[in-house]
Amino acid sequence: MRSVYARLLGGIAAFAVAGPVLAADTDIIIALNEELEVVEPCMASQSNIGRVILQNISETLTELDTSNGALKGRLAESWEAADADTWRFKLRSGVTFSDGSAFGADDVKASIERTLSDKLTCEIGAKFFGGMKITAEVVDDGTIDITSDPAQPILPLLMSTLTIVPAETPLEFTRTPVGTGPYVLSEWNAGQSIVLDRREGYWGEQPVVTKATYVFRSDDAVRAAMVGTGEADIVPLINQNDATNPATDFSYPNSETTYLRVDNTIAPLNDIRIRKAMNMAVDRDAFLGTLIPADAIKATHMVPPSTLGWNKDLAPLAFDVEGAKALVEEARAAGVPVDTEIEMVCRTGNFPNVTEVCEALQQMFADVGLNVKLTMMEVAEWIQVYSKPFAEDRGPRMVMAMHDNNRGDPVFSMFFKYACEGVQSGICDADLDKMIADATAATGDARGPAWSPVFAKVHNDIVADVFLFHMVGFSRVSERLDFTPTIATNSELQLSQIKLK
Amino acid sequence: MRKFLGKRAVASAVSLLLLIVMVFFLSRLTGDPTQLYLPVDASLEAREKFRELHGLNDPLMVQFGRYVVDLAQLDFGDSIRKARPALDVVLEAFKWTLALALITMALVTVAAIVVGSLAAFRVGGLFDRVATFFSLIGASAPDFWIAIVAIVLFSVNLGWLPTSGTGTIWHWILPISVLFIRPFGLILQVVRGAMITALSSAYVKTARAKGVRPRPVIFVHALRNGMLPVITVIGDQAAGMLNGAVVVETIFGFPGVGKLMIDSILQRDFAVVLAAIMVTAIAIFLMNILIDIAYAVLDPRIRY
Repeated sequence: MRSVYARLLGGIAAFAVAGPVLAADTDIIIALNEELEVVEPCMASQSNIGRVILQNISETLTELDTSNGALKGRLAESWEAADADTWRFKLRSGVTFSDGSAFGADDVKASIERTLSDKLTCEIGAKFFGGMKITAEVVDDGTIDITSDPAQPILPLLMSTLTIVPAETPLEFTRTPVGTGPYVLSEWNAGQSIVLDRREGYWGEQPVVTKATYVFRSDDAVRAAMVGTGEADIVPLINQNDATNPATDFSYPNSETTYLRVDNTIAPLNDIRIRKAMNMAVDRDAFLGTLIPADAIKATHMVPPSTLGWNKDLAPLAFDVEGAKALVEEARAAGVPVDTEIEMVCRTGNFPNVTEVCEALQQMFADVGLNVKLTMMEVAEWIQVYSKPFAEDRGPRMVMAMHDNNRGDPVFSMFFKYACEGVQSGICDADLDKMIADATAATGDARGPAWSPVFAKVHNDIVADVFLFHMVGFSRVSERLDFTPTIATNSELQLSQIKLK
Repeated sequence: MRKFLGKRAVASAVSLLLLIVMVFFLSRLTGDPTQLYLPVDASLEAREKFRELHGLNDPLMVQFGRYVVDLAQLDFGDSIRKARPALDVVLEAFKWTLALALITMALVTVAAIVVGSLAAFRVGGLFDRVATFFSLIGASAPDFWIAIVAIVLFSVNLGWLPTSGTGTIWHWILPISVLFIRPFGLILQVVRGAMITALSSAYVKTARAKGVRPRPVIFVHALRNGMLPVITVIGDQAAGMLNGAVVVETIFGFPGVGKLMIDSILQRDFAVVLAAIMVTAIAIFLMNILIDIAYAVLDPRIRY
């Protein structure tokens, strides 16, 4: 009997201390804000999936260097335009997958076909490759031609989003991802943790971090506290109210832009004086450091400042209550129904303090004589008013949204948001459509200058929307690590970039 | 008894089926999962492909028919979000909820019965007043607040316990303690009330007059007769926990069924919602059967 008790106590003791022991200094723990639903490489465009998989397990042909906006090779050593709609990629040699098989052009072709397949719903396919047909032709084991219809001048950039898997990967979501990256998935305890181990045989430099354990904590305060208690080394996303320790807390531009999408087709919002008045009614400075983090930037574009073609000449319309009132009265005198109730739709949980921001905006619009009603919606309901098809019987409406473009090119934003056929466009302007099409087709050094006037047209000439802020995110990093979050942290967390102090 | 159990099973099955039908149709009224699954910039073509792939374009009655046929073969369908069988997802989460509920309710039951009985033995005494004061605070304190305060105190300031997670026995102490407080306060009050009535009855007075010691008077003579209302409340509280302790699961990072259900509702992951309702409803049905049996054991007058 005594031995039974001894064994029982031994078992409890073992359970009590299991976990934290035997952790090497080079092992780290990362606390994410939600559990990964899948560990599928073709879903790596989702933030948390990307933070685990992207460039850790699965790599891409090219990679965007967010520090300077340049595109560099990852699994591709070089690329060149073969003709107007085809790009030829030379692949890196000596690369193997974590299952030991060799990487080659067949894998790239299969990865493209799998990501864009009708049999799977891959977010990378839906998000970056919509409205185009991509075909791949293997030239030899180290060379592949990728063709797009219509032609995509930014195809090499698009390839920075597409994760490469072995050609044998089945056409279903995998639970055991195999990639060419420096880490391999070694454990997945559903609901609790995911463990990546550094693998031997990686083609590049061996990273310092030997093991990364990802845990999931949805409560902001708990997640933030875990670094201080030694239970986590990196928390990629903490609430701005918790970011109080300069030694561990970092703010970084997170590539998100908040704005009010204005339906330009319905009175009184179809009158440019009203749209100007709304822009002048917003005291953006009053938000900074109060409801919005002080490091956020007043927005004039739909894309963050690091994006190609950023137009530095644009400035927000100055806060001017009297000027805005005068514009409203001028519109009234011209017969515009300025007293019509305008619905402002905001989304619960869109970003910290969103409700308070929307309430403040409602008051600012009221101060210049506009009749704005605030409606808070849960995400599923909100998407239906944000995206087309819009309801036929809708009234004048603005929708608060936050848009993410971390790929460095405006093409990922401007068609969707401002073309007549754009899924979230509140305007339809033939001239603007042509400018967007021309800029989309521009190549090389001409591409940036082609986008700049598009931004000016949207902001100055049409005054399409009420731009608010380029947002920042907050991360907490243990003082024992040498790692500074960047704009990329919003979508990936390359373990190979983490060093020890 | 067997006949009674059979009747209860049939009644529960009918209730469950009606619930499933209601949830199936009402959940479909709340929106299209396509909108939530795909990025907002996804093209209409991509959305159409998603609907086709998941059978969301079919008429609602066709979808329901397919669900019923699959259910008859114990196939609850696949989670759209997690791309695997919904029942697997739910059972994985339910084991955590079940463990949390069983441990907490066992501790609550023992503690509330002991403290409540002792408080009732000398009504108005110091022990009774202290127990009543703290039980009322416990029964009315919001658990999210207690959870955060407990983490700040025991994890952040004192460093005695981990903030969250499930890895070791230490990880269970704070969640169980927080979950413990409210049902403990509630059940203690019920035990106290029932025991005051039982202890003032003639047979207890007779036992005392015969010189029986206080402990057997309380825990043998009075307690058994005072337990019927207590069991009802224990059952009610346990049912709440089996449905998931959402706040505790969220704050302490426990991967239980409560948080899973809330997330699945928000994400319109219908298969998981229905499977979770089915699993928790069956668990509650089984628990109610156990309560009925406990009634019969405690009170010989009850015969089914």
